[in-house]
Amino acid sequence: MTSTDLTPRRLGTRPTPWLRTAGTLAASAAVVALYVHAWFDTDVDLSELVTGFHNMARIIGQMFPPNWSVLSASVRAAIVTFDTALLGTTAAFVISIILAPLAARNITPHPVLYELARALMGIARTIPLWVSGLLFLVTVGISPFAGVLALAVETVGVLAKLYAEAIEAMDMGPVDAMRVSGARRTQVFLHSVLPSLTPTFVGLVIYRRTVLRSASLSPPTPVGGRIACRAARFVARRADLMPGVVGESLRGRGR
Amino acid sequence: MLEITGLRKSFGTREVLAGLDIAVAPGELTVVLGANGSGKSTLLRCAMRLIEPDGGEVSLCGADLRRVRGEQLRLARRQAAMVFQQVLLVRRRSALENVAFGALGELPLYRSLSTRLFPEALRARAYESLERVGLAKFAHQRAGTLSGGQAQRVAVARALCQRARVILADEPVASLDPRAADSVLALLADVAKSENLGVLVVLHQPELARRYADRLVGFFDGRVNFDRAPSQVSDDEVEALYPPDDDEH
Repeated sequence: MTSTDLTPRRLGTRPTPWLRTAGTLAASAAVVALYVHAWFDTDVDLSELVTGFHNMARIIGQMFPPNWSVLSASVRAAIVTFDTALLGTTAAFVISIILAPLAARNITPHPVLYELARALMGIARTIPLWVSGLLFLVTVGISPFAGVLALAVETVGVLAKLYAEAIEAMDMGPVDAMRVSGARRTQVFLHSVLPSLTPTFVGLVIYRRTVLRSASLSPPTPVGGRIACRAARFVARRADLMPGVVGESLRGRGR
Repeated sequence: MLEITGLRKSFGTREVLAGLDIAVAPGELTVVLGANGSGKSTLLRCAMRLIEPDGGEVSLCGADLRRVRGEQLRLARRQAAMVFQQVLLVRRRSALENVAFGALGELPLYRSLSTRLFPEALRARAYESLERVGLAKFAHQRAGTLSGGQAQRVAVARALCQRARVILADEPVASLDPRAADSVLALLADVAKSENLGVLVVLHQPELARRYADRLVGFFDGRVNFDRAPSQVSDDEVEALYPPDDDEH
């Protein structure tokens, strides 16, 4: 039986060798062209890295000794940042656990709820952090609370989606077994879906610890802003740094 | 107890169930034999409406399963319990908790928010069910650490704790060694008799089926080929259910 599969007729249906070679060559050329374009588009010049190195060294040198007078304020700001991340993430975690089962195709109670939950998550993901931060800032006033809210929204977008996907990928056997036994939807979720996915859910939220970074970088919220300002002042106090940096870079380009 | 008449289901152009009739009587172990793809698992899933059938009737303890919806479907289903091919316990919960899960459907929601809130009476009942299948000493072990045979027996205990009238088992011994397979089937036959349950088992082992079944049902191409006492089914008839695979390349 297997020998009949290797008849010349079957082999003939494949593209002829020269055509395949040409295709491979064209594809390779396209890839090379892409890299060449990117190289020139971004002004890559490795010699700059070497000739300009002393500038980098000088700036780093000027950062020492640090300006200790801003230390306590910086630490205070860092703590607020941490608090913001903690509350924002926890809120997002709770909301995601509620939202994810609605947005998982295999266990959603209703298609309309599915679309609604997906849309909500999509919106939360699309709004940039600084936009939602700005919106909350004008709502709740200038306080780190705005940061908490903005962060929660952003995190829900990502976390709920990851959770929903984890639910969709899970083994439906235990879920079906429990459903057949006449358990309610909520009971199935609490006792079958949740225990199976607890490690995944916890892992994902810990992975999202990068929200700490988001928190410190969300510019319109006072928290992030404060940290950024402190950091900048911390560095800038050392010297008239910024004009120097700009000057150096202009001189470099002129050559 | 469970009567299935004229059940039909197609996936695309492939007709998996072509108008099937099968009935499960109390106190009886009925075994369904059939080749891969003959529609055995689909039958069980369609009967419980885990997959929506295209046509036919399913009556479970007097309830018309095809007509009921939502809350009524949930309550109707409580009369039946399923045991699956792969062991489908919640691995991160104890054997006892898994058995108690059989009764989730009768608990009010607030009592079932956490396994800690389960009523004491339910725990006692779950423990009794575990004792019934001979696994009481594993009550507090995580389900994930049980052997395949033990886990299937826990699944049977869960069905008992659920107080189901019908047990549907989809290849419950597919991944078990011969001794464990034998013990699981013996247990199913035993609970059928002692608790007067209707038990329907899909099986791939004709010898096991002959040893424990009260009735043998042969599936071929989405239809019932025979439905008789094992002593009245010849080896040739069983053999004919498994045609040589003609689409091997």
